[in-house]
Amino acid sequence: MSAEKEMLDLLEYEDKEELFQDIPELIRTDLDIPEGLSEREVMVEVKNKLEKNKDLNELTSFLGGGIYNHYIPAAVGEIIGKSEFYTSYTPYQAEISQGLLQSLFEYQSLIAELTGLGAVNTSMYDYPTALAEAVLMSARISRKGRKFLIPENIHWEKDPVLKNYLRGKDIDIEKVKFDEVGRIDKEDLKSKLGEEVFGFYVETPNVFGVIEEDVDTFKDLKEDNDCVLVAGTDPVLLSLMTLPSNWGADIVVGESQPLGIPPSYGGPTVGIFASDEKYIRKMPGRIIGETEDSNGKRAYCMTLQTREQHIRRERATSNICTNQSLMALASAVYTHIKGGLGLEDLARKNYKKAHNLAERIDQIEGFEAPYFDSEFYKEFTVKTPEGSKEIFERCAEKDVLPGIPLDEKEKFNSLPDILLTAVTEMNTDEDIDLLLETLEEVVG
Amino acid sequence: MNSDYRQARYEEDLLVERADSRKVEDNPLPSSIAREEAPKIPDLPKHEVVRYFNRLSQMNYGIDTGFYPLGSCTMKYNPKFTEKIASHSKATDLHPYQPEDMAQGTLEIMYELQELLAELGGMNAVSLQPAAGAHGEITGLMIAHQYHKDNDDERKEVILPDTAHGTNPASVSMLGYDLVEIPSEDGCVDIEALEEAAGDDTAAFMITNPNTLGLFEKDACQIAEIIHEAGGLLYYDGANLNAIMGKTDPGAMNFDIMHFNLHKTFSTPHGGGGPGSGPVGVTKEFASYLPVPIVEKDGGRYHLNYDLENSIGRVKGIYGNWLVLLKAYTYIKEKGKDGLEEAAERAVLNSNYLRKKLEPHLDLPYRELRKHEFVLSGKKMKDKGLKTTDLAKRLLDYGFHAPTIYFPQLVDEALMIEPTETETKETLDGFAEAVASIMEEDEEVIGEAPHNTAVGRVDETKAIRDSVLSYKMRKEE
Repeated sequence: MSAEKEMLDLLEYEDKEELFQDIPELIRTDLDIPEGLSEREVMVEVKNKLEKNKDLNELTSFLGGGIYNHYIPAAVGEIIGKSEFYTSYTPYQAEISQGLLQSLFEYQSLIAELTGLGAVNTSMYDYPTALAEAVLMSARISRKGRKFLIPENIHWEKDPVLKNYLRGKDIDIEKVKFDEVGRIDKEDLKSKLGEEVFGFYVETPNVFGVIEEDVDTFKDLKEDNDCVLVAGTDPVLLSLMTLPSNWGADIVVGESQPLGIPPSYGGPTVGIFASDEKYIRKMPGRIIGETEDSNGKRAYCMTLQTREQHIRRERATSNICTNQSLMALASAVYTHIKGGLGLEDLARKNYKKAHNLAERIDQIEGFEAPYFDSEFYKEFTVKTPEGSKEIFERCAEKDVLPGIPLDEKEKFNSLPDILLTAVTEMNTDEDIDLLLETLEEVVG
Repeated sequence: MNSDYRQARYEEDLLVERADSRKVEDNPLPSSIAREEAPKIPDLPKHEVVRYFNRLSQMNYGIDTGFYPLGSCTMKYNPKFTEKIASHSKATDLHPYQPEDMAQGTLEIMYELQELLAELGGMNAVSLQPAAGAHGEITGLMIAHQYHKDNDDERKEVILPDTAHGTNPASVSMLGYDLVEIPSEDGCVDIEALEEAAGDDTAAFMITNPNTLGLFEKDACQIAEIIHEAGGLLYYDGANLNAIMGKTDPGAMNFDIMHFNLHKTFSTPHGGGGPGSGPVGVTKEFASYLPVPIVEKDGGRYHLNYDLENSIGRVKGIYGNWLVLLKAYTYIKEKGKDGLEEAAERAVLNSNYLRKKLEPHLDLPYRELRKHEFVLSGKKMKDKGLKTTDLAKRLLDYGFHAPTIYFPQLVDEALMIEPTETETKETLDGFAEAVASIMEEDEEVIGEAPHNTAVGRVDETKAIRDSVLSYKMRKEE
């Protein structure tokens, strides 16, 4: 007797269809999709489709805009490919999930080391949603006023995400101008702060790749106005840049994709979320805590779960349940494979490469790089002599992607035509020569 | 029956503990923003790092380790060919802002997935942008919000049954809606209570069907009528779609908006909590409200359309969790029409079989026939002076992951069990035997469980009290 028959017998059913007798006939449907394929057939078919893509190995790409092409040591894929990790669920049963819990605690610890903020969650979906959650958390921290300030030069995808998350909430977003060198216009920021404002957001590097140099001002402004300071930054750069906690950041958000996650057409990545220790009960998302087991041995578990939707329901700090844990694990493995010195070295290398490239682009007639005369890290603005979109398209015909044409995305109050150009260790000297040649050619 | 499972036990200090203090040297940044003290990240030989994480992986339990009947989570086998295809460089090494002409393969797959999901949900249009189920829920509510707003109809309430997943009420309040929770009758929506609750202020009603007790809401059509009559929209939480594929769909039940959990129904791995993917489907009337961009086909070319008339805008950066989408697509192609229907049938058969096997040992509230999952009450444990938690912990000793516990909240000492279609009868029998065996054990053995895992019972109260959330927060003893 087949196993299925035995199972049906126990239930006293003749046929599997009887298991669905509680679904009314009126709403029965048939599936109109193709029949299944064998594993071999489906592999061939999907691979053939993927072959229509041109991947970054076939292109000379200087694209960034939040997603960067870095080298990922093979060990990272090996570890996150362990099925004990990737086929597990959220670690509700701590005793049998110590491996993942400790790994995620490593991730939290690394982000804490980089940001200076001790309380870190295991991930948000991405940078834009992390920012949106940070604004909502700021409103929980400060009951003062209903206005939150963000820079007007914010990534074209963050702005609409934030707007949607604040839908239905009594929170107004006001935008702060940027100055002639692409930084936050501090005078404008000062004039907009006040009784009504419960927090403000500073990004460094910002969407132009520009780094804020006078960060202590933000701390002073935050303290003078008794509001919440949210900082957005880059985790690799933090190995060289002063801790956001040193200049008053209460919450730090960012994107962990540069730490060991392939560009993947933009997803999955990891939204970084760290907070000052005094606000832990207001944080969104899963958090791993260190504790002991019944024998006094060090152990880990999910903690402060009474903030979360599965316990607190409508009073939860966020609705997030499934997050991006495996990607956070990738970032932890990547960072440890690199090591502290390795991470610093990477930041230094990318910094130098970018400065070198900007200087050389600047020498091409008609180009100006960086357009904003400010300190930057691995990404910078290039003013183009003709439409940046047209230049991009002409370069793309030669399989060179010189940067993101900003006129296509957002002009941020009528900037000239600009390319947002990013450099990483993946761009060789030959790539850089090719880019320069191509730029000269397409405008020539 | 023997509890002979033994999980690996290593005592591994954190890697971050091994770092020495040092200064950052040769810093190219201006002194005003140059970091002085280096972060505590050690520089270890690669082999040490690999060995460390490898050992940690051995102290973790996945579906590939054993049975994982976590209710509501659909922990089915994750095929390996989908993993392989998603690690292809033509899938991973793509930049989101590369020209559409250079990503035609990806766009084609995304387009076809939109179409496949629309058919599976009985919907007309699908957005692949949301990254998770809860993210899909909030996206759906944003669509409802925008729709009512466009009709100058300020509705303030969202109605939920008391069996709803925790993410539902959390999504409702995150969007500033007032929550109206209605009680269940015999485990299903109380129609009278719903009629009373529905009215001019009802923006939407959210429900999963089969519900979290594993019961099919047979009054689905009546529910839809009541809500639509009141001018509200009907939202389908797709967490339990695995049970009904090929039998019925949310469109047939007159839902307006729904989300899919690709990491449940379409077998993409849960990754220890994520990444998932929560595409949102809508009927024709709401297609123009979906987040942008969506993928469209123009002759033989695929492109991203950012121009939808009533679009809510964005809910996430870029286009969605592409690699997860790819795995789900590959899974659906391999299963096909018959394979998916068979998955639903087998999932429901496994669930009912295991229910029947466990009924002699634990209590089953509400009627018998369940769909893909069922909820038992562990109140018998109280006779031993124990709780459902203790039973769950003892199951770990037998090499099984525990079911979801203490949810749904309307069942006392709840155990929510979802075996999925990929388990054999032998595995289900083994689990039932383990439960039977535990019910006969000494209170002490159960109460002090687990014994065979990497660590003993973890002190969650201490974790809250101490709140050590990173190495940085660890206080020196």
